[in-house]
Amino acid sequence: MQIAKQHFYWWNYWMAGALLILLLIATPLFTIFFKIFEPPGSSWNHLAETLLFGYFKNTVLILLGVSFFTFILGVSTAWLVTNYSFPGRKYFEWLLILPLGFPGYIMAYTYVGLLDYAGPIQSFLRNSMDIAVTGSLLDIMNLPGAIFILSITLFPYVFLLSRASFLQQSKTLQEASSLLGKGNWHTFFKVALPMARPAIVGGIALASMEVLNDYGTVKYFGVQTFTTGIFRAWFSMGDAATAIYLAAILIVLVFVILYLESLQRGNRRFSQGTGTGKPLVRVILTGSAKWAVSLFFAVLFLFSFFVPFLQLIQWALLTYAKVVDKDFILLIARSFGLAAGTGVIIAVFSVVLLYSLRLSPFKWLKNITKISTLGYAIPGAVIAVGIMIPLLGFDHWYMDRFTGRNVGLVLSGTLVALVFAYLVRFMAVGYNPIDAGFQKIGIHVNEASRLLGRGTCKTLWKVDLPMIKTSLFSGILLVFVDVLKELPLTLILRPFNYQTLATKAFDMATNEMIAESANASLIIILTGIIPIIFLNRLIRRKVF
Amino acid sequence: MTLLELKGITKKYSQADQFAVNNVSFKVEKGEILSLVGESGSGKTTLLRLIAGLEHPDAGYISLAGNKVVEGKKSVPANKRNVGMVFQDYALFPHLNLLENVNFGLKGKIPDPDKVAKETLSLVGLSENFKKYPHQLSGGQQQRVALARAIAPRPAILLMDEPFSNLDAVLKDQVREEIRQIIKKTGVTAIFVTHDTRDALSTADRIAILHKGYLQQIDTPRNLYEYPVNGYVANFFGKRNEILATSTDDGFYSTFGFLTDERSKLFSSQVRISFRPENASIGKKEAQPMSGKLVKSTYFGDHQLLKIMDDEGRYINIRANASRIYEKQSVIFFSIDKFSVEEA
Repeated sequence: MQIAKQHFYWWNYWMAGALLILLLIATPLFTIFFKIFEPPGSSWNHLAETLLFGYFKNTVLILLGVSFFTFILGVSTAWLVTNYSFPGRKYFEWLLILPLGFPGYIMAYTYVGLLDYAGPIQSFLRNSMDIAVTGSLLDIMNLPGAIFILSITLFPYVFLLSRASFLQQSKTLQEASSLLGKGNWHTFFKVALPMARPAIVGGIALASMEVLNDYGTVKYFGVQTFTTGIFRAWFSMGDAATAIYLAAILIVLVFVILYLESLQRGNRRFSQGTGTGKPLVRVILTGSAKWAVSLFFAVLFLFSFFVPFLQLIQWALLTYAKVVDKDFILLIARSFGLAAGTGVIIAVFSVVLLYSLRLSPFKWLKNITKISTLGYAIPGAVIAVGIMIPLLGFDHWYMDRFTGRNVGLVLSGTLVALVFAYLVRFMAVGYNPIDAGFQKIGIHVNEASRLLGRGTCKTLWKVDLPMIKTSLFSGILLVFVDVLKELPLTLILRPFNYQTLATKAFDMATNEMIAESANASLIIILTGIIPIIFLNRLIRRKVF
Repeated sequence: MTLLELKGITKKYSQADQFAVNNVSFKVEKGEILSLVGESGSGKTTLLRLIAGLEHPDAGYISLAGNKVVEGKKSVPANKRNVGMVFQDYALFPHLNLLENVNFGLKGKIPDPDKVAKETLSLVGLSENFKKYPHQLSGGQQQRVALARAIAPRPAILLMDEPFSNLDAVLKDQVREEIRQIIKKTGVTAIFVTHDTRDALSTADRIAILHKGYLQQIDTPRNLYEYPVNGYVANFFGKRNEILATSTDDGFYSTFGFLTDERSKLFSSQVRISFRPENASIGKKEAQPMSGKLVKSTYFGDHQLLKIMDDEGRYINIRANASRIYEKQSVIFFSIDKFSVEEA
């Protein structure tokens, strides 16, 4: 053995890389935090007196409404699907997940078009039934309408998580309850529901995060919320400080939800050992109950996916010749490239973070690494504000220091800013599956490789990465889809005249070109459905 | 020649309130097989990982093959230590076949890695199917591949974490002997961790016993078994009886009877006599100096264990021939062939 070279045992380049990435991702969050302590902007006082209460009221009402309806729809469908047998059950089980692929803003203008004077419903009534309706059939461009749209697109979160929980619950527990003489309803409310509570609340919390992140739906419906308020302060009034104040309030709301979610979990353990897992025997429904349940699922599926989807297809067929040209193909290529590129960067960052955790003896590194996944809970509009401020600062500093003249935008208003924002917001989406992959393969294979004389880089390349290939690809795929449909961040941070499929669809829809926008919308939805089916498989595999 | 030396090695994990390893020092000679034995949580696996370079101690130093590999905050990283390790779960690379697993540590270091890998595989008794993947092998075969992978690069020292724990009882006896022979054939110095004293006694040249992070005793199997330095070590290798006795001029007087022994002159009055169940023998009434009432006999197939009580209700266990049937409550006569004495 040659004379051994000695190192400080804790030092490696992975850790340096991880700390840099963490610093980068934490920047927008810290920015918001520190800017709160600066004096408010010029329009703040006016806003606080006039609009703030409205923002608050609307945001909270939408949150409550969506929580209520996603709970009712998600839990009832999950319970029926796991415990009862009825016509079409097998199909509804995965059909009900499809609405997740429908971004709220697309659902919003599709419904407006559906109910419109020129829409299929009114045309049918007018032409075939000879019933003329003046104005819109049903005005949904208001707060209840927003609650409706967001509920039918977000209830699958609650459906998915509570279904997984119901599937995991030992059948013997439910049998014990019925043997004690309790009926189905009693068993549901006293045994199954309390045991599934963490999953249900988790699902509602996810849906709530999406509600707070939503810009497209409320903007299109003209409902003033914190998100639209941030846009207004930033774009219309150019008042960054006020935007930050609004962003800070929104973050507080996010943390309240996260806190309530963790509070209800408490220290109690609800999971029931799956060791006694008996094969699930579903109750076979008969007579009218059978058809009533099937009808309920069919109507829900029609409203939450099938009808709007069909409408989009019809519009696309009508307009594709006009819309799909060379520029449109370029737009698709650009959106896909942006989404794939972000996916790859996030995968690389996640691997560096997780690999340095794997090699590091320090526990604190694990704790601060959690910062990197915080962005998913933070609304896009807030992240955008947190990113613009440091980037604008950098640009000013750079101009003063190096050129002395106005060279325009260096980082802000470029793709760098947009990709940076995607990184912050979607880090968790790619990080979690890759983390799970690393956990699954364990540390011993890595150690074995290092003891066989391979360095940390070589070990990562030859051992760890080939073994977590699947997780890596699912991480990239999930980020890809999320970036593709992302709207508020892209609207704020995109370079001038830069369009993605999402912004194009939204712009067209707001400019009374709903039918034309369907082409872009369909592409977003169809790509979104791939990982949903894939995700559903993953959840099922974990259960059985 | 000393190959490995540990001095004052101490390690505490941040959340734990106890030291995992506390001020442990010992030396291992070249070519020796040392076994680290202890209950779970005794620090034996931590010690193995410290030697491998997978953990860093809070204090102490380690030298391996004449080089300091750990001193203070500095250390030689695991990939530069030339240490071979067989993990408890084998940790074979699932995406590589047998040959690729074994030549993983050879590639780029020697001219013909495949040839050496094949030779090592046949040394461990796998001379065909080099293209198979780990999941296509039985547990026993996987372990052989893991051993071949670890010894192929000719490491300075071979470390094995619970190498026999995943094998069933029948296979275990066979594998124990095979592994000992392979290690001796290659002449590699080896340390293996086990919680099973039978593994340690039958395979190791020397055994180190750990308890709550402290090194209790390190010695040859025979010495450990016969001359344990304390009660913990003695009990670790199986049941042991203790009886109180009074020292007289020519022996010890106890509630079970009189034991003639010259050592009595060395002790003043009260002593504690300890012996293993198999070190007493049962015989005819006249010839045996000691006796007690049979409380219970437990049948084990190849032997039976008799629980014998004195007049004051204290009891001892004696191992007896399985074929003989003893009546409950009958008086058993016996003698103690080998025992140790200490001041009570």
